[in-house]
Amino acid sequence: MTAAIPRTKSTEPETAPVVLSLRAVSKRFGTVQALEDVSVECRAGEIHAVVGENGSGKSTLLGIASGVLAPDHGVVEIGGEPLTATSAAEAIRLGVGMAYQTYSHVLELSVAENLFLAAPRAERPPYGRMQPWAAEKLAELGLELSPQAPLGSLSLAERQFLEVMKALLHRPKVLLLDEPTTALGPHEIEELHALVRARARAGVGVVYVSHRLPEVLGIADRVTVLRDGRGMGTFEAGELSEDRLVSLMIGRPLQLAFPERPAVDDRPLLLARGLSAPRLGPLDLELRRGEIVGLAGAEGNGQDELLRALAGLERAAGTVSVNGVEVDLRSPYAALRAGIMLLSGDRVRESLFPVLSVRSNTTVQVLRRFARLGWVSRRREQAAVSTLVARLKVRTPSIEQPVRFLSGGNQQKVALTRPFLRGSLNVILTDEPTQGVDVRSRFDIYDALRTKAGEGVAMLVKSSDPLELAGLCDRVVVVSRGRVVDEIAADELSEQRIIEGIVGARGAHGGARAR
Amino acid sequence: MRGSVALGRGALRFRGWVPLALLVLLMLGIGAYVDGRSSAFLTQYNLNSLLLTALPLSFVAIGQASAMLVGGFDVSVGALMTMGVIVASYTMTDGLAWWVLLFGSLAVVGVGAVVGLGNAVLVRLIRLPSIIATLGTLSVLQGISLALRPIPAGSIGVDVQDAFNSSASFVPYGFVAVLVLAALLDFWLYRSASGLTARAVGLDDTSSRRLGAPAERVQWRAYVVASTMAGFGAFFLGAQLGVGDATPSTGTSYTLQSIAAAVLGGASLAGGKGSFVGAVFGAVFLSLIVNILPFVGWSDAYGQISIGGLTLAALVLYQGGAVWGQARAAWRVLRRPAVAAG
Repeated sequence: MTAAIPRTKSTEPETAPVVLSLRAVSKRFGTVQALEDVSVECRAGEIHAVVGENGSGKSTLLGIASGVLAPDHGVVEIGGEPLTATSAAEAIRLGVGMAYQTYSHVLELSVAENLFLAAPRAERPPYGRMQPWAAEKLAELGLELSPQAPLGSLSLAERQFLEVMKALLHRPKVLLLDEPTTALGPHEIEELHALVRARARAGVGVVYVSHRLPEVLGIADRVTVLRDGRGMGTFEAGELSEDRLVSLMIGRPLQLAFPERPAVDDRPLLLARGLSAPRLGPLDLELRRGEIVGLAGAEGNGQDELLRALAGLERAAGTVSVNGVEVDLRSPYAALRAGIMLLSGDRVRESLFPVLSVRSNTTVQVLRRFARLGWVSRRREQAAVSTLVARLKVRTPSIEQPVRFLSGGNQQKVALTRPFLRGSLNVILTDEPTQGVDVRSRFDIYDALRTKAGEGVAMLVKSSDPLELAGLCDRVVVVSRGRVVDEIAADELSEQRIIEGIVGARGAHGGARAR
Repeated sequence: MRGSVALGRGALRFRGWVPLALLVLLMLGIGAYVDGRSSAFLTQYNLNSLLLTALPLSFVAIGQASAMLVGGFDVSVGALMTMGVIVASYTMTDGLAWWVLLFGSLAVVGVGAVVGLGNAVLVRLIRLPSIIATLGTLSVLQGISLALRPIPAGSIGVDVQDAFNSSASFVPYGFVAVLVLAALLDFWLYRSASGLTARAVGLDDTSSRRLGAPAERVQWRAYVVASTMAGFGAFFLGAQLGVGDATPSTGTSYTLQSIAAAVLGGASLAGGKGSFVGAVFGAVFLSLIVNILPFVGWSDAYGQISIGGLTLAALVLYQGGAVWGQARAAWRVLRRPAVAAG
């Protein structure tokens, strides 16, 4: 692949050599079949997108292609040579360049040291010449960074560009990009895409994993769709519409699957005024009884801080009142007393006890309700848990099953059982309720959230998936740099509209555009 | 970068030379104070015995720094020292030809290397937490030592003792050797590609693997080096004791002291940061604390308390970033009204 392969989008270079081939690859984690019999082929010079929902197996696929994970079955070939060892070093040697979604940076080391570590041995300068060498490499890609800067001091966008650059240092035959635009603004996305296209023109095969469909259709030549760990086929990007792609990803028309929206009470339940903390606010927020409000925005724009402030995990200035009474939010316990509960996005680490059973995880916060004179009645506990497990459609062999053996979706449902056992809740904050959750469980979770809201609870749902927000919520607020920049009412809710809000396409549209 | 104190955002971030400088200043201060109180402190004899005491500890501290560099601990080094002395009491006795002695000394180091491999298997292959795994090793080694020498016996050759204890003026040759070794190791760690790789593995195992670094090899090596260094330390300890004594007091104290020395020298508990020269300085410092007790008329009890206290102080100072952060956050909150009055 010496000369650039001249071509326009959608004219496949059928003759170009295959640089990455995964054939009939399967991978299982515990009880979860992450990938089943998936085949993907990427040719030199091609931009091949892999799309699918969260938990559809995209990351597993990349993990196998980059030598980090061993497939249970199937063959991986890189540049025509089989990848036999489970070793990132071996995959790199064969010609894989991987830009990880969570990066491969050592944050405590400098930019130069990170580049040095990423460079192939033969191309590393003498140790003492590292700084000028790194400056040169940075200049080649037009990155204005100081080689001496500790990596931890870079912005997320800078880290992303550096990650791609590191993957390119080995002059890979195939470049794997895992959600490369999560941290990028619209302008930076353009920059990255220009860079990726230039590489493809130079003969590099690019595997582009993303869940942002417009972006994918804008850059890819071919698209492979994954659903629940299975391949749904590979398509020419030019022949696909966004709607078609969505239905391939979720397997049924989306609108039908979301629970109906009942009428919402008009009285405000939670009122936050001038809420501010580092990277947040000042921001006003109003939640009404029975309402599900979506929280949208590019990752890292204050959504987490807002949830944490309302849950008492982070101190914030400003006032918060529930039912017209000002409440104290100086600790998670205080927030809980005010009836505010957070369901963390990191459920395994922050909201579940993985080795305990479904039963224990469900009742751990309310055990007293099943106790007489301090002794828990196992029978009453089991009855309550069994009812809930059936109601939320938790798929588990028994309520005594440790939750770590459940799939992500069912783990999330177990985490969701808690608010159902707590009678006195006013506000539920949920962080990415369906991340890593299979499609079937997703809709069970939406039903559960809607049911709970129907009991008179206000719900704030943070999600990075606009489709989900559009389908589930009564209203969506969009935040940027810690402030509310847009507010979308039910009658104009759509994925498109939310994305426009996030990328700022509507400018000063509606909402409280705080200054 | 290295060699600068980053006071950014108020956190006192560890940078190579800070612990070293602090240690030297402390030692000079203590030395000046004790010299004012007793003329016997700054004598060739006392300084020589101070450095001789510090010698075995210096080796173990280098080894401990190696394990800590990859985020682990080797608590078996103390028992391994005892074991090394026991082995030496069999293989390095009086009246052996030089080549027999050579093999004998290789046996001592070899035992260290083998134990290190065993630790690496437990920690890397079987994935036990390093403290627990090496705690098990410690007990096993202690038992083997007792089985080999139920009562103190087997004298280590006088020639060997003389060789290991010989000094130029007050500086033992062995101490010069350990200092040079530490300096070479530091040079490797901070001025070579392979050293950078080792630090990267210690700082962030996942990322370094993704970059294709030989993370597994680096970690295995760290544990083998840790135990081998304890083997070298055992030479000098054996030469000072002169007899194969398996009572736990022989080596056990080296475990905690080696961690203390490495920490005083700037090693991070989380891995990836540290200095071998710093570890040696830490070892000398700890020996100094013990050495000065009779001159200032304190009992051993105070020595132990100050060693523990200083180690904790070093931990808070060098790696208590979270503590400082929390203290600052608490201060900010105290100075401004909370979200809502309760």
